[in-house]
Amino acid sequence: MKKKFYTAIHILGLSISLAASILIILWVQDERSFDKFHPDYERIYKVNSHLDPKNNGSIWGTSPGPVVNYAHTSRDVEFATRFSEDWNVTLVNDEKKHKVTGLKVGYGDSTFFDIFHFPLRAGSLTGFQTNYTHTLITESTAEKLFGSQDVIGKTFRWDDDLFFVSGILEDVPHNSSLQFDIMIPLGYLAKIFGGNGKWKTIDEDLGSYRFATYIKAKPNSSPDAISKVISDAFSKARDGETSTVFVLDPIKTMHLITPDGNKSSLRTVQIFSIIAILLLVIGAVNYVNLSTARALDRAKEVGIRKVIGASRTKLFFQFVIETIVVFCISLIIAFVLIFALQSGYSQIAQKSLSYSLYNSSMWLYIGLAIFGTLSLSSIYPAIQLSAFRPIESLKGKSLKQLTSNSIRKILVVFQFTISITLIVCTLVIKNQLTYIQQINLGYDKDHVLTLGLPDEAYKHIDAIRDELKSNSAIQGVSVTGVWNLTDYFHSTGDIDWPGKSKDNKLIVSQATIDQDFIPLMDIQLLEGKNFSGLPADSSGYIINETLAKQMGLTPPYVGASMSFHDIPGQIIGVVQDFHFKSVKEQIGPMVFWTRWGAGTLYVKTTTDQAQQAIKALETIYNRYPSDVPFSYTFIDEQFDNLYKTEQRTGLLFNIFSGIAIFISALGLFALATHEAQTRVKEIGIRKVLGASVFGVVKLLGKNFIVLVCIAILIACPAALYLMNQWLGNFAYKTDLSIWTFVAGSVIAIGIAMITISYQAIRAARANPVDSLRDE
Amino acid sequence: MIKITNLQKYYRTEEVETVALNNVNIHVKEGEFVAVMGPSGCGKSTLLNIVGLLDDLDEGSYLFNGTEVAKFKEGNRSNLRKHNIGFVFQSFNLIDELTVFENVELPLVYTNVPAAERKRRVEEVLEKVQIMHRRNHFPQQLSGGQQQRVAVARAVVNNPKLILADEPTGNLDSSNGNEVMHLLTELNEAGTTIVMVTHSEHDAKFADRVIRMLDGQVIMETSTV
Repeated sequence: MKKKFYTAIHILGLSISLAASILIILWVQDERSFDKFHPDYERIYKVNSHLDPKNNGSIWGTSPGPVVNYAHTSRDVEFATRFSEDWNVTLVNDEKKHKVTGLKVGYGDSTFFDIFHFPLRAGSLTGFQTNYTHTLITESTAEKLFGSQDVIGKTFRWDDDLFFVSGILEDVPHNSSLQFDIMIPLGYLAKIFGGNGKWKTIDEDLGSYRFATYIKAKPNSSPDAISKVISDAFSKARDGETSTVFVLDPIKTMHLITPDGNKSSLRTVQIFSIIAILLLVIGAVNYVNLSTARALDRAKEVGIRKVIGASRTKLFFQFVIETIVVFCISLIIAFVLIFALQSGYSQIAQKSLSYSLYNSSMWLYIGLAIFGTLSLSSIYPAIQLSAFRPIESLKGKSLKQLTSNSIRKILVVFQFTISITLIVCTLVIKNQLTYIQQINLGYDKDHVLTLGLPDEAYKHIDAIRDELKSNSAIQGVSVTGVWNLTDYFHSTGDIDWPGKSKDNKLIVSQATIDQDFIPLMDIQLLEGKNFSGLPADSSGYIINETLAKQMGLTPPYVGASMSFHDIPGQIIGVVQDFHFKSVKEQIGPMVFWTRWGAGTLYVKTTTDQAQQAIKALETIYNRYPSDVPFSYTFIDEQFDNLYKTEQRTGLLFNIFSGIAIFISALGLFALATHEAQTRVKEIGIRKVLGASVFGVVKLLGKNFIVLVCIAILIACPAALYLMNQWLGNFAYKTDLSIWTFVAGSVIAIGIAMITISYQAIRAARANPVDSLRDE
Repeated sequence: MIKITNLQKYYRTEEVETVALNNVNIHVKEGEFVAVMGPSGCGKSTLLNIVGLLDDLDEGSYLFNGTEVAKFKEGNRSNLRKHNIGFVFQSFNLIDELTVFENVELPLVYTNVPAAERKRRVEEVLEKVQIMHRRNHFPQQLSGGQQQRVAVARAVVNNPKLILADEPTGNLDSSNGNEVMHLLTELNEAGTTIVMVTHSEHDAKFADRVIRMLDGQVIMETSTV
């Protein structure tokens, strides 16, 4: 019975840790596999633009159109292509009167498929390479749009343009950073390009950084040489009036490291790899601990076996084989667990993990894991057990050597160090997530929904605005160029003001708004006035505090002159800083103006009237022809989406620390059980002599609690270090409070106490007569 | 001091109920030395455990110094036990991890005697059983006789009114056994009541009275004085 109990704990602990670590390893493996399915991926780079490197300027993952041509002039470059994309596109199959929304369109040069490996299933690339209306679509898009795979030569419509299908591609694998459902020749973008000032074609436009440029370098070439060729050519084209430098970013790390060098995704992957190993080690430690603890009981067995002639080698192998059997059972249970948890896990991890028994690299990982665990968890106890001297073990003497075995204590400390570190990290992450949720964004995001209208509707926008305003369910309406206020990217360096120094390369965010936007979003006007809706607005700018400071102005700011995109005007108002990007970033400078097109409708409503408001919007929307169905987003949702990665990290940490503490507690439980069993006589004696139940519990618990306390001392600095690193990703963050560490420690001690006391109380309440019976 | 009337004790397993003690009546006066004898399994150890409040009885009455203790809860029993009763076991039941001194000190720890007082009393009793020179040794470093003397010292350190001894000489050779019996006799002469379970007719002679048991019943009481 006893033996079954311990074997069950062995197997339970091992299978949970195996399952958890295999799942994590699958995820890690998937994250690391991004963009590595292209042949020669080692030679493929993305051209990043480093604006003004001398002044620590930003690094963008996009570059101007001509860069691809500069790249071609380098003798180290084999191929170069541009890539651009449009998301959430609606395409129409007029023949069947069928439309599909939410598609991703990719644009590529004719060399795109010379660099990237997206296999062609049917048709040919020739059309794509020669005619901008000849497209390639993926198999599932073909299925969605035409209901068949036999679609070469068929046509579909996007807005007013007609396209041909000239080839079918395999679906883009999920571990590709480039995602598209339809590949349209970049020539289409060139054709619809309306020019940018003096630059008339995309191959001349040096001003907009709108393309991702990829190159495939020749073998053994130097990326630095290539980037120099590109940078020099660009500088020459701009008559030396640029400080932008182009750098090559290998695509093999593109998924985990952002263009500006932010490695937080890579960190997460590294942290999770470590967690996978640690979970496995925790499980193995349980095995070692329990095996050596059980050695007390088994010493006698070993003694008898040795007396009847078993050699040390034979005993050693007996124990190793026992471990292997336990391990195999655990592995099978782990696989069952993985299968059972797979769908839930994929949902949490936000990807469909390619878990299959035929996944060879998974077996490699598992093999390594098993070998590691096995060496740790079987060889050590086996050496120990087989080394007993028979007479002493029969007399029970080696028991003592083992009881005082400090290795077991170290292992318990180790397990709890990991668990407590994870618990504290979980608490810090939770605090930060709460902090983000509760941070004062500088505007009121509640009950505001945003949507785009059909193109036709913008011709009647004033009437629409008035109609919506008269609806009682709607508190406010604004038409702006801000498509997502929680994560808004639209910036320019085209700003000037009297006294601006020549080498000032300030990049500011820009947004077109109307007179309703600031009051609707409840953005605080610190100085001056809002836009009026009158023609005079066109020479007025409203800036945020940060910009006012960065321009070096002195208050009062209102009335100061500035020009924006070469349009002179005045600052008419200053708003309090608000978060228009993730709180990971410092609030940057922002200019509001009224001049450019605005396509996003902001509508403020209330919880109760939201449905009524949405209905009114839908009615208006459907008045105008559009292929795109009506849809809307609440700013709340945009905000939550922005922190999905962090939410997921938080959730995963919750799960991992739960597993770690569970396995550790399992080990502690078994050790406490064992301790209570071996000390049953002593407990009996003490009870006869008057020890209380509490006294006995204290006696048994003391040693373990001391170990947990030592673990706390090690874990807190470790967690402090890790979480400082993690919080370093955020410009706005919660303080690391001592209470988080106290709470983590209390949780660990609490769990340890509960674990121990069950056994301790049982031992303490047992009738001493039973344990002291001499027979 | 001890008055047990109509004591019934059963052992129940899933299928059978065994009568361990059947209608046992015992009366032990203060200062008496009583030996309980009988073959293995006759219930004498069970009786001793009930007398020592380690086990409860199923039916009957148990007056300890005039107080009915048959229905006492564990807390009360433990309290009564640690202040009034000392135990000596056949297998000594010393705690291996504690020194001689610490073993003997234990009952005083559980009755909250201050440290200085504890030291004085432990040393006094160790002198009395002539084991003072081994005070810092661990039980396994002592001979059987020495271990039992430590056990006796532990039993008396709290000055209990009653000592319960379960085959105190069972694991000892005759000379060590005699030593322990003389020790018990001395304690009895100093006024401590002793109830001793034994197999040995020789040891029984040290008692004032012998209670003989068979199959859970008292079958005979004889005075040795």
